[in-house]
Amino acid sequence: MVSGTAYERGLAHGTQLRSKIRSFYTTLMTNSLFPFLSREQPDIATLLKEYEGERYQNGRFAFELLLESAKNLERNLGRAGRDELRGIADGSGLSYDEALILNTFVDTTLAVRGIGLAIRQGRAPVVESVELLGLATDGLDNDGDGQTDEANEGLLAPYAPPFFAAAVEVDVRTRLRVVFSDPDGVDPQTVRVRVDEGLFTFGDPSLEVLELSPTTVQATWTPLEPLPAASQVTVVLSAGDKRIIEVPGPPRASFRRDEELVVTTRGAGLGVRDISRPPLFDNRTRPPPFTVAVRNGRAEGGPLMAHSFALLDANTAHKHTVSILHQPHTGPAFVTVGWAGIVYGMSGLNERGVGVACNPSDTLDNSVVGSVLDQVADLSKARLLASGLPAGYLVRRVLERATTAAEGAEALGEVDPVYGWNCTVADDQGGLEVVELDSDVFKQGQGGVYRYGPTDRDPVSMRRYSSLTDDDVVVGSSYTRNVDDSIVLNLAGQRVVPQRFWSGFFFRSRRVMDNVTRRLSARQAPVDVEWLKGVLVEPEVVDRSDSMNAVVLDLKGRVVHSAMGTVPATNSPFVATEVRR
Amino acid sequence: MKRLVVVLAAVVALPAFALETQVLPQGAISLDLAYLRTSLDKQWGGDRRAMSLIDDIPRYEPGGGLQGILRARPIAEFDFLLVQALYGVTDSLSVGVNVPILMRSTIATNIAWEPGDYQPQLGRAYSLEDFWSWAQSMGQGRVPDRAVDTRFRLADIVLGAKYLLPRFEWMKTHHVRWSTQLNVALPTGTNADPEEAVSVGTNLWELHAAGDVELHLAADKHFFVDEHGVYRLNVGADVFYAFFRPRQYQGGRGLKNPLLNNNAFYVGDTYWIDPGDWLAGTVSVDVVPFIGPTRASIVSGQSLEKAQALPPLLTLNASFTYVATAQSDWQSNSALWDWDREKMWQPGEKNIFRFTGTVSLLRLGLPVQLYASYRSQDILPGRFTRPANVFTAGVRAVAKFW
Repeated sequence: MVSGTAYERGLAHGTQLRSKIRSFYTTLMTNSLFPFLSREQPDIATLLKEYEGERYQNGRFAFELLLESAKNLERNLGRAGRDELRGIADGSGLSYDEALILNTFVDTTLAVRGIGLAIRQGRAPVVESVELLGLATDGLDNDGDGQTDEANEGLLAPYAPPFFAAAVEVDVRTRLRVVFSDPDGVDPQTVRVRVDEGLFTFGDPSLEVLELSPTTVQATWTPLEPLPAASQVTVVLSAGDKRIIEVPGPPRASFRRDEELVVTTRGAGLGVRDISRPPLFDNRTRPPPFTVAVRNGRAEGGPLMAHSFALLDANTAHKHTVSILHQPHTGPAFVTVGWAGIVYGMSGLNERGVGVACNPSDTLDNSVVGSVLDQVADLSKARLLASGLPAGYLVRRVLERATTAAEGAEALGEVDPVYGWNCTVADDQGGLEVVELDSDVFKQGQGGVYRYGPTDRDPVSMRRYSSLTDDDVVVGSSYTRNVDDSIVLNLAGQRVVPQRFWSGFFFRSRRVMDNVTRRLSARQAPVDVEWLKGVLVEPEVVDRSDSMNAVVLDLKGRVVHSAMGTVPATNSPFVATEVRR
Repeated sequence: MKRLVVVLAAVVALPAFALETQVLPQGAISLDLAYLRTSLDKQWGGDRRAMSLIDDIPRYEPGGGLQGILRARPIAEFDFLLVQALYGVTDSLSVGVNVPILMRSTIATNIAWEPGDYQPQLGRAYSLEDFWSWAQSMGQGRVPDRAVDTRFRLADIVLGAKYLLPRFEWMKTHHVRWSTQLNVALPTGTNADPEEAVSVGTNLWELHAAGDVELHLAADKHFFVDEHGVYRLNVGADVFYAFFRPRQYQGGRGLKNPLLNNNAFYVGDTYWIDPGDWLAGTVSVDVVPFIGPTRASIVSGQSLEKAQALPPLLTLNASFTYVATAQSDWQSNSALWDWDREKMWQPGEKNIFRFTGTVSLLRLGLPVQLYASYRSQDILPGRFTRPANVFTAGVRAVAKFW
């Protein structure tokens, strides 16, 4: 518990957790994140020559990069925010700059990592087209457009990652054809097709791989055994190129992200938007953060919210988890579930009964890309500079200010985030809203704020965005409303595209959302705290490597139930913390 | 990344006379030169199960999940030269000095790798080679598969005094002797290098050989004693308390291993270890299968009678030592880090068996004894200790002439 002025709270935090804070800084930042992020330097320096400079050499790239952004973000923290960091620094023995970095690195790192990932995906093979052969003559509407057997039915070209089914009611012997292209050439031996539990690679009799040109490869998969009838089938596609990148090690080709397509076979009777992505037991992907919230008749004993947060453990964050009861001298008391030396958590609850939980949502519409756009006239001098408010401070902002979910959503929308986030806000009276945020550097007209509640519907499909009923919502780590988060443009040779084209979170977010939604759908009785805890510990939704905490917020009871301190966090028991002065 | 191979404790068995209570006659000097070969490949957990000397190291890529698990199964071997000198101040009091010198240490890290999560940017899970390539890209060099150090390094020198206590009449009648012994170590050994990934210290705590101060109380009872005082069977016992002084260590600053040894920032530039004391007891049996021919010689002052009182030609000894070790206490700025170390040094025990054969040529006129022993700590598992096995071969010369 910390109380008093901002400085006093920071000082108490820093003093009480001194050794943990210093250990956290060293093991996470110095030992893990700085060197890891420094590996991005060669990629980023190809675009932004400033990072070839002396100042960023000798392993200082990551520290300098994060410090520059931290200094830029510092102005948005307000005097109280800076005082609190000063208190942490004084209490823990970190320098102020180190405390500032520790409290801002998440968003900056996500943005820089996102840019690096987008650059890497930009040089990996591209899926030019996917075709399910024979759908144009099967006498069925396979793509849900109301037409039967149109000329290109079954052909996804140009390929765009589908939110829902790639096709429905396909024959159990349907063949699949995919074309990859890459300027460096596609290595046929890296082509990989997974169909449910079956894996088909180069040389498999059911997978024919042809080099159509020096830059194009076509893979055709023919099922030797019929697909299961009346089922949902998951197809995963990937390939690597022929150019081996030696530095930084290890040597590797550039690999296309796993592209996941779901099709239904005849008899399933599901529409394109009705599918629910099945679990994928391939040991290649891990469930991302998600939130589920219920209210009114769906909730037993008052509104509830559950949050599974997984991002970056690096075998150290779990040793430094902490739940803090903040008692500011003005404003409501609140609890955050976070880490030593960090003033916020990614979830929390205040004494007014307002709870909030945020999940990252990859986007190139972020402040760091914005800083490059601002400097695009002379990229030789451009630097990656985060601006706005880190998500954890957004959580704090809600907890410090809001009396209702609507006020919380307003508080979120009033400031620009550093990166993309999906935040769920709920209150003890049944208020429930989701706010999808980006930095709106492309000025798309919404100010980067996309709000919706359980009753809101997509104007095209007239389906709820992410709810089963008027009283629940399931939120993952991908956008549901802000689906065209970024415009498509070419920036200094790099393609800027919406989230679904490059984010490693996209498919697994869709999958975990469907998984949780299925469980919620199967629950007939009102949801209670214990049931939500049970969902959070289900192996199919737990990231066994980077799980950081699992939280159930009892908004009416003003109780935070948190599991943390192990990896995964759900290996630890849930501990209840009351939000009381 | 945590340090791959932490300080490897070994046990140097201090050669001793066969009997627990043996002292030298007044004016006698014994010079002892021994070679010790020590090997260590495991530690005992709290449930007496053998574990690797270092825990598995799960490696994570920030945000990328589990890279894999480093499983090191290090085997440490040490070659010591042990120089001992004893002097009989009186027939009841002997003093001595024990100088251990580490001549060579060999540590095979035996690192294996269990692949972790699929890494999309690699298109595969990390292999061990991938992992080291990744680490090297961040400035962390590969930990050698085998580290050999041939520098001669002095360990803690031990000074000792053994006093044969006055015997009661019944003791004389029943061939019982008792003695007390005080050992004090001089801090001439070294701490492990905080900057090296693989490092060996030579102080008594790191060698886990003996306490900084030890107080012994021992007794022997001879059986089947002939008219010259030579026994055929001896049963002995020794109890001792070993005190360890707290030791100060340097934190690592990552000068050589930036990702392995850089704990100084949160641990502190220095930290302390209070090793915890030992309470121990030994029971031993000496059997003389062969007293051997005896002749008057320069060793016995040309006296056959005195020669017949000299040690038998062959003595076999077996002993068992139980050592109860107290909790070791790390004191740094980081309680988390302290506990990571302390958890493997909780109150525990060693169960040490030793088998020794001594050939004494004194009766034949040569003032020399040859001995060999094998000391094992893994016949009977212990708890929270590291079982080193030690082979010793030595030669002892007695330098008093009658």
